[in-house]
Amino acid sequence: MTSSVLTASALGLSRNESGRRFPHAEDAAALEELRSGVIEILTGGSWDQPWHVHDLEKMDAVEVDHLVERGLMTPAFADRTGEGRGFAVYGDGEASLEINGEDHLRLLAYRRGGDLTALWSLLSRLDDGLETVLSYAFDPQWGYLTARPHRAGSGMRAYATLHLPALTLMGRLSETALELAGQRFGLTPLWGGLGGIIQVSNLGPQGKPETEILQQIGHIVRGVIEKERSVRKMLFRENPVQSRDQIGRALGLLQQAWSMPFHESVNLISAVEVGIDAGLVEAPGLGSEPTFGLMSRLQPAHVVVDYMDRRVGCLESPAVDEQRARLLRELFAGAVIMS
Amino acid sequence: MFADESPDWNLDLDGSVTCELCGEEPAALHLLRVVDGVISHTHLCPSCAETVADQTEGLALVLAVPSVLRRLGKSAPEAEGIQASDTDQDVRFCAVCGTTLSDLKESGVVGCVKCYQVFSEYLAASVSGAAEPVEHLGKIPHCGPEDDSLRHEMMRLERMLRELVACERFEEAAGVRDRLTELGERLEGGAA
Repeated sequence: MTSSVLTASALGLSRNESGRRFPHAEDAAALEELRSGVIEILTGGSWDQPWHVHDLEKMDAVEVDHLVERGLMTPAFADRTGEGRGFAVYGDGEASLEINGEDHLRLLAYRRGGDLTALWSLLSRLDDGLETVLSYAFDPQWGYLTARPHRAGSGMRAYATLHLPALTLMGRLSETALELAGQRFGLTPLWGGLGGIIQVSNLGPQGKPETEILQQIGHIVRGVIEKERSVRKMLFRENPVQSRDQIGRALGLLQQAWSMPFHESVNLISAVEVGIDAGLVEAPGLGSEPTFGLMSRLQPAHVVVDYMDRRVGCLESPAVDEQRARLLRELFAGAVIMS
Repeated sequence: MFADESPDWNLDLDGSVTCELCGEEPAALHLLRVVDGVISHTHLCPSCAETVADQTEGLALVLAVPSVLRRLGKSAPEAEGIQASDTDQDVRFCAVCGTTLSDLKESGVVGCVKCYQVFSEYLAASVSGAAEPVEHLGKIPHCGPEDDSLRHEMMRLERMLRELVACERFEEAAGVRDRLTELGERLEGGAA
């Protein structure tokens, strides 16, 4: 499924080893034993691509945030402290593995675009590889057992990231959130809901095979995209001047600002994206890059690592906002709003 | 990438929190507002949430809290029944990891596999809103005990049987029923 509204897909798969308590209740020696055992499987097993094990103790805040921003690590794992934590990246970032976070293992995969099924195939294959050595905690009725019983069952949580500025602006997501909650799906804001970037994900055991859950998310996503498109059309039809005004102002700030915080850049790019999608804005500097990709690489750790050669050690430094503004001025230099 | 799942996003209100606006109805929704770049969270009843979301200038997003919705969907005696059985189990604790029911209620996490048995009634009611957990019908471990695979296959077939009967496809349903009987006998034979 391709659409400028559906921006990214992410999948997490939680597993625990039978015979051990879950990480928060287990002692340090047992967690360390599990961590080293898993790393041995990753480095010694036969995998299609190599695993790269990271030493969390030696990583600074920028490196950790960079992994979170790339969708390789969850914010919850990055914030977590505790014994026996481990982390590894598969291939060039096709997938990753958190060890001793909330659960013993959590496999993760993240891609731009909307192919959740491909992510499930990959993670299920990696899961099979781990299971050749590990014995998983499983109950025929509950399914895979996890520290948080709401996650038991498939142990899978899938996220479809959508760009929904019109539905968010008009407060129309509340009805969708209520409707979805009844079917055990939820809406979660990414980046605190800035720019109307919202994730649809499954909540709680569904009593369905994983592929059916993913199909259902696909169905929900199609419905939400349709609603977003219809509200955008309504906004342009009923408020043509205000709509153009908002988009034009956003473009002006992106072209002229000399200091640009991340949260502001997301809101502005979101407004301009609505203009691009409606054929009102031409932004040749963007090329074929989706605007969500641009938002992603403007996150603080991305700016520091990719554009500042890590010269700044603090993600909150004003220099990061200045660099971001410089990038945006260059990218949107030739952009125009059509009259 | 993955959204930040801070406790604010996952509040599993047990119905005891009242709406922060009217102070009367139980809070069933989590309202996120972004006004001038400032993010605020409020817990509201459905009607107040709707009003506030409509009046907010800027971004307003209502996030439902599923467990409360499930509870609201129940009739009053049923909901009370869940609470009563909770009270009966309050003294329970898991002998393997030491988790108590109040730990579980407070944190939403269990300490080990055994907790699923010790707190089974509470977990079934709180996770699936029923006396039994939602049947898992997805992937199962390849290397698990054969009994697990058999039970899992039987659950899958039972579901199929219900669906076939509902569609009045009785001939196919009979075949599934025979296969279920066969698997049941194998399971009993293995256990004996």
